[in-house]
Amino acid sequence: MTMRQTPLTCSGHTRPVVDLAFSGITPYGYFLISACKDGKPMLRQGDTGDWIGTFLGHKGAVWGATLNKDATKAATAAADFTAKVWDAVSGDELMTLAHKHIVKTVDFTQDSNYLLTGGQDKLLRIYDLNKPEAEPKEISGHTSGIKKALWCSEDKQILSADDKTVRLWDHATMTEVKSLNFNMSVSSMEYIPEGEILVITYGRSIAFHSAVSLDPIKSFEAPATINSASLHPEKEFLVAGGEDFKLYKYDYNSGEELESYKGHFGPIHCVRFSPDGELYASGSEDGTLRLWQTVVGKTYGLWKCVLPEEIASENSDCIYPSAPDVKA
Amino acid sequence: MEKTRPYTGPPLISFYPGISFIQNSLATAILSKSFTKTMQTPVTIPVPVLRLPRGPDGFSRGFAPDGRRAPLRPEVPEIQECPIAQESLESQEQRARAALRERYLRSLLAMVGHQVSFTLHEGVRVAAHFGATDLDVANFYVSQLQTPIGVQAEALLRCSDIISYTFKP
Repeated sequence: MTMRQTPLTCSGHTRPVVDLAFSGITPYGYFLISACKDGKPMLRQGDTGDWIGTFLGHKGAVWGATLNKDATKAATAAADFTAKVWDAVSGDELMTLAHKHIVKTVDFTQDSNYLLTGGQDKLLRIYDLNKPEAEPKEISGHTSGIKKALWCSEDKQILSADDKTVRLWDHATMTEVKSLNFNMSVSSMEYIPEGEILVITYGRSIAFHSAVSLDPIKSFEAPATINSASLHPEKEFLVAGGEDFKLYKYDYNSGEELESYKGHFGPIHCVRFSPDGELYASGSEDGTLRLWQTVVGKTYGLWKCVLPEEIASENSDCIYPSAPDVKA
Repeated sequence: MEKTRPYTGPPLISFYPGISFIQNSLATAILSKSFTKTMQTPVTIPVPVLRLPRGPDGFSRGFAPDGRRAPLRPEVPEIQECPIAQESLESQEQRARAALRERYLRSLLAMVGHQVSFTLHEGVRVAAHFGATDLDVANFYVSQLQTPIGVQAEALLRCSDIISYTFKP
């Protein structure tokens, strides 16, 4: 008898979920922030998906959201030409950083002292969060709107992706170190500090590059256009989702497709593994976030492992999900 | 294993008097075949869940002031014995206890998979990889326990024997 994956659906958003990020593991567990076109990013408990609060203040679609390592601060990038920094404990807005166009991406340094932003104005900006009034440092060079910008190599370098290129910049000199060109639009980028791996998705490809040299390591082809992919912290699996509404799980070493799940009612825009690798979250055009177990059937968060004898007996604690969620 | 013919209900003839006998038995045969086929595929059970994730409350922006990570309100020294003030003192204490208990449980969670050093009675010190605790925190399940007489692959440490333990997260 085998266990079937039960995704946990987190509702609350009213428009497509376009970005999501986990915090690091904190004494209070880990947290999840979701960016939504309804302009109201939400903070959730990472292992259960329980809603904690909504960051209110943006006047346009929120395209990017991130949490700092200990989940004390959040940052969001929005179509109202601002990036905002929030207190993730109280939900209060701490700073509004004005830009000249739609802001798409935000990332904190490890020490939460600096914020990197990027957007449609094609500039990378570095804000010193201890001096919010000071002008940010700007890095120019991109020839199309920046979709994703990330700190890497212990915040000594910056990785940024626009429509057709991925560029590596040196933080201290603010100059370009290397760049990669693609024929197809780059849909997402993820940076794994342990091992300095960069995960890039474009078309149906999921590619892995060294974050230090940008040299290719390997790549896989999925059955459909992929919008986002994430590598497991232990680098055993990767998950990817895209235009066919399905989530795919691959063995990182062999490239074998291990599992695939239907469940979302729209294209998947973002997928991320939790910091402990026990679950992964997906955000979709259908306005929901879903949490999926890495090891199906394990007791974790809201999922409860049931021994064969227990299934037959009446167990009022557990509830079985309604049919639509269950179909895999 | 002999498969007994599954019960497919009363003969169709009695419900559909218009259908001929031959058509009916064919229908029954097809029904029983497809039913047997379903029985042959492996049974999958959906992973049970304790509940569904909680959604927004619909009227506030959340971040409850007495929520998980809010600092505890300092104890106000109330001298008057007003019952309402008494209640709030008790509920404050209860909240403090709950917060401390939660922190302790989370510290146990944070220890999983890490190397922990235990100080036991009689000045004995051992180190091990922390696995889990039981419901009453009476025993710790550990692996690779380094003892003065060798390394034990799996072990249960009795919590009443432990004076203190320390680990780096």
